[in-house]
Amino acid sequence: MTGKPDFRDLVGEDLTPEERDRLEQVHELLIAAGPPPELPPALAEPSTELDEPTGLPRRRTGAVLALAAALALAAFLGGFIAGRMNGDNFNSIRAIPMHGVGAARAASGTIDLGQLDSQGNWPLQVKVSHLPTPPKNGYYEMFLTRHGKIAATCGTFNVHGSTATVRLNAPYNLGRFDGWVVTLERPGNNGHQVMLTT
Amino acid sequence: MQPVSANEASDGELILRTGNGDRNAFEVLYRRYARSVFGLALRRLGDRGRAEDAVQETFASIWRAARTYKPERGPGAPWLYAVARNAIVDRGRMRLEPAVETPEEVSGDAGPAERAEDSWTSWRIHRALEELNENERTVIELAYWSGLSQSEVAEYLGIPLGTVKTRTRAALARLADLLEEELG
Repeated sequence: MTGKPDFRDLVGEDLTPEERDRLEQVHELLIAAGPPPELPPALAEPSTELDEPTGLPRRRTGAVLALAAALALAAFLGGFIAGRMNGDNFNSIRAIPMHGVGAARAASGTIDLGQLDSQGNWPLQVKVSHLPTPPKNGYYEMFLTRHGKIAATCGTFNVHGSTATVRLNAPYNLGRFDGWVVTLERPGNNGHQVMLTT
Repeated sequence: MQPVSANEASDGELILRTGNGDRNAFEVLYRRYARSVFGLALRRLGDRGRAEDAVQETFASIWRAARTYKPERGPGAPWLYAVARNAIVDRGRMRLEPAVETPEEVSGDAGPAERAEDSWTSWRIHRALEELNENERTVIELAYWSGLSQSEVAEYLGIPLGTVKTRTRAALARLADLLEEELG
């Protein structure tokens, strides 16, 4: 079956005219409204970061929120906030340090964040040191995180040697995230082993 | 008198409780309205990422502004709709881009007033669907948006065709009760 469901098929014939009319109106409204969207996983639960309700005038709360968002973003981006051209011709506006965890405690990294382009892409240059060479068919993947959970991928890369520099991309609104991780990915293994984190 | 549990409370009661800092009431509101807000934001902004941001902003606004809700001025649903619409319009302006109203099949060449009415109606219908029990909601979603016939729904759910029809009819009747204002 395609298209609109048949109202008679749905409700049968044994309805009073009044009830048929009432239900048919609902039927038409359902068709007009279309399906409600599925919530993405990120919206499955309400945000836990809520201040006490204030009742402040809307314009003022908007300004407070904007400031809070800017501060949160600055804290998330961390590092220094001064544009600079690094030695690889990558125009970095932020440098975000990463440190090794677990089996990669000795590793470290830096994310250089480039200028947002007109298409909504944040170019990234990621330098890592002392990450182990992945096992056969393995690779590293960089993710943005939210509330400590992996939320969006920024790309994959490989490492052979003590240091590596790779270009990645974050086509997202970075204000929606609060951290970054680099994970070791192994084919056939569903888990993400976090190796570097901000 | 026993206090009404948050799950059974009206939208207005939940907004009032939220205004007093009741996170449980806020979470019930979120579960009731998150999909409706997300649907409205998707239609208005035409972009999932921005729509997600708009949902977060809407509920942050609800949390902040709940104290200003006056039940004597009207029920909770229109107040929530107004907060959501404002948050979504603000989100649409943030990149200095016009908010996009993606075409809805039914609206065709509708003017602004008609589009606003369509948005409100969709909002109310999606909200009303959340009120159905799971069995009823499932048959409605399968019947209207999966392309399955009633016989196919019965086969898919592994229940008799008569049960599908009974549930569908009951669900439509319940929706009719919930949408009494829209049915005029």
